[in-house]
Amino acid sequence: MIAPPFAFSLGLFGDAFNFVLHPQEAQGGGVMVGGPSQVLELASKQLEVTVLALGVAILLALPIGLLLGHFGRGEFVAVSAGNAGRAVPELALIALMAAAVGVGLFNLVVALAILGIPPILTNTFVGMRQVDRSSVESAKGMGMTNREIITKVELPLAIPTIMGGVRTASINIIATATIAPLAGILTLGDFIISRNVYGDAGVLAGAVLVALMAISIEGLLAGVQWALTPRGLKVQRA
Amino acid sequence: MVTAVSDVSRVAESSSPNGATASTVRYSGVSKRYPGADSDAVHDLNLEVPAGEICVLVGPSGCGKTTAMRMVNRTVEMTEGDILIGDRSVKDGDAAKLRREIGYVIQQIGLFPHRTIGQNIATVPNLLDWDKARTTERVSTLMELIGLDPELADRYPAQLSGGQQQRVGVARALAVDPPVMLMDEPFGAIDPINRARLQNEFLRLQAGLRKTILFVTHDVDEAIKMGDRIAILRKGGEVAQFATPTELLMEPADEFVEDFVGADRALKRLALMRVKDVDLWKAPLTHAGDPTAPVKTELAGAEVPHPLMVDGENRPIGWLSDRDLEAEFVPKVPDSIANLKIDADQTLRDGLATLLQSGALYAPVVDGRGRLTGVLSVEIVSDFLSSPVAAEADIPAVDRPRG
Amino acid sequence: MDSLAALSAAIEFRDRSGGGCIQDNKLFCPGWVVDNYDRYVDPTLQHLVLVLSSVSAGFLIAFSLAVLAHRHRWLSSPFLAGTGVLYTIPSISFFFLLLPITGRGSLTAIIALTAFTLQIIFRNITTGLRNVPPDVTEAARGVGLTSQQILWKVELPLAMPEIVAGLRIATVSTVALATLAVFANGGGLGGEIITGSNITFKTGIIVAGGIAVIMAIIFDAFILLTGKLLTPWTRAAL
Repeated sequence: MIAPPFAFSLGLFGDAFNFVLHPQEAQGGGVMVGGPSQVLELASKQLEVTVLALGVAILLALPIGLLLGHFGRGEFVAVSAGNAGRAVPELALIALMAAAVGVGLFNLVVALAILGIPPILTNTFVGMRQVDRSSVESAKGMGMTNREIITKVELPLAIPTIMGGVRTASINIIATATIAPLAGILTLGDFIISRNVYGDAGVLAGAVLVALMAISIEGLLAGVQWALTPRGLKVQRA
Repeated sequence: MVTAVSDVSRVAESSSPNGATASTVRYSGVSKRYPGADSDAVHDLNLEVPAGEICVLVGPSGCGKTTAMRMVNRTVEMTEGDILIGDRSVKDGDAAKLRREIGYVIQQIGLFPHRTIGQNIATVPNLLDWDKARTTERVSTLMELIGLDPELADRYPAQLSGGQQQRVGVARALAVDPPVMLMDEPFGAIDPINRARLQNEFLRLQAGLRKTILFVTHDVDEAIKMGDRIAILRKGGEVAQFATPTELLMEPADEFVEDFVGADRALKRLALMRVKDVDLWKAPLTHAGDPTAPVKTELAGAEVPHPLMVDGENRPIGWLSDRDLEAEFVPKVPDSIANLKIDADQTLRDGLATLLQSGALYAPVVDGRGRLTGVLSVEIVSDFLSSPVAAEADIPAVDRPRG
Repeated sequence: MDSLAALSAAIEFRDRSGGGCIQDNKLFCPGWVVDNYDRYVDPTLQHLVLVLSSVSAGFLIAFSLAVLAHRHRWLSSPFLAGTGVLYTIPSISFFFLLLPITGRGSLTAIIALTAFTLQIIFRNITTGLRNVPPDVTEAARGVGLTSQQILWKVELPLAMPEIVAGLRIATVSTVALATLAVFANGGGLGGEIITGSNITFKTGIIVAGGIAVIMAIIFDAFILLTGKLLTPWTRAAL
């Protein structure tokens, strides 16, 4: 199953490359597809929904995680959220959204945010709980208010774990944004899903583009994590 | 690492929040019962810590000493009673605000790993919005004071040794020159050698700063070394005895205190005295070439069995044996050279140890320049141990001899 | 994406009941489910096969990598980075990157799903091994055990809790992710979520999604219990 298609496969990569650079006629005829402008359009759509959904997820999950983690409450909820979130099939979520609630950018972003909240909530909670207790105790004893302890002591020290959650959330969101075309929002995933329109070349091109986008965003977030991690922590690792 | 006392007082004068010097701390009927517990962690505590003194809270684990200390800055809230700092109740006002005016040192130190040493020390000044210049100056003054190279200010806690971290913890607590300090086993996590060093340096600091300090430890030897007054607590948070170290050692209130202080409590007293502070024996003195007759007469009524030959500067050379005394004049070299000499500034305990180790019953005591001040004997030590408590009050911890 | 016409077209035939409920595409029609449950048997079995194969393969590979990296520490970073890339790439994209090599079918799906589990399992095994207290390994060495023996008799058993945790996460995630296998023609429950080219049959979505979630829960509990059985000492404490 592997050997014969190999010679053929190199050719297919070439076709995919071509697909990105030059608009061509659709598989079923009629409309023109591919080419830089369409690629850019779908890519920016994917980026747009990803950024929006990730932003919403962070805005909602981070403060709750910080508060629960600081006061040590709601452990069951915070940890179970992570477990539950993992069990939800993204496909079913998107399908149900499309079927029951309706399509549209807003609904999509909400659905994606729902996927992103559990890992951020769980990791923020766990990260806060894992901060060295003696640092927190001395902070309290020196007269810091709860808000000051959270922002000046616990949050900086929990950054690595929290960012781990953000990165996991972004992976989930990007993956689901890829199948958003099922719900009518055209992202890069459309190249992959609608084979009859874009052909095998388009499918492969889409796959590569999505992979590239995912890797780039991951790299970006890794950089953000590095930048946000306090120097004192990095020194500790050494 | 010796800082002149004048430097220390310079630190003390700058930046007191209300210009106040140390205040008294008074516990008044204080109790603490944790929810769900069937007995008090601290029960009806009444204690007054005089201003400028170190009060050590000591006892077996579970006796409530840490709980009692933490009620002063309300990191634990009391269920009954009140604590007054000066004449203000700690319950007046906001807890966070109160804590900013009290120095707080815990056993695990709790430095912030994500901040530099300088930033750690500047924590409370920053919370109080001091201006940058003042804070920076304060940080370097404090670092010098506690014996840390000011260049370390930009390092991170992970880059410092345990002993250095401990010093930073103390500096951090001293940052705004608070009148009261709470210290919870601050030297507990350090090895014995460095612990002794840190204790001595802290006492030196306190000599200049004279803060009111509540110090918790489980080690009775540390309590005796560091405390002006010691409160021994029983399980259940009751005070078994509140007294000066000497009173504690000489007159333990009950069996519990006796056991806790230890069977060697008499010997422990020896650490509280310096050799020069006891009445030393006087030896008949003579020089090379002096006639032996006067010295022989003196010997009759002396406490020491042999005369001591000294040089022109009064430095001991050796003991004259009976054979030496048979001559008309004192020989140049005595029969028994005085190889063993005891430093007058040593503790009585160390002096005794020196005697015992060489098997001698007595030895000459010399000052910093080697000049004779008297003779110490094992008999003097045992007389001291069986004598009643000295009429003068206990020497303050900061002035005590340090081992 | 119109509902009624496409719906009746998409629900082939053997619909024996449902009637008005189905016609109105209500959220959940129990009657229909009762009558049509046998259509879910095959997809569920396929789903099981997908999950079991990919998690097993993933475990075997990740385990070997972790043991190698445990002996040669310098391998940890590259392995972590490598498995990380595989984790970042959305599965859908992965399916089609494999297109030229393995074509369509369950093999492609399994390879992609396996790739996704690698980082989670690898990281957890590595962390578990690292968290073994050094004095325990010292004692073992002092007693005369070889490195191999220490690994199998001391370090791995003590790392079990971490490894079990990693397996649980990987399995639950894979169950959810395997719903996407339909895009690679790999079968699975995804086929019942997107019936034909239509994703608006609500009851179908809920049933298929529900089966996936239940499967995830069962696997999770099973692994958890097995883990506890294999580590009696963690239960004995207290």
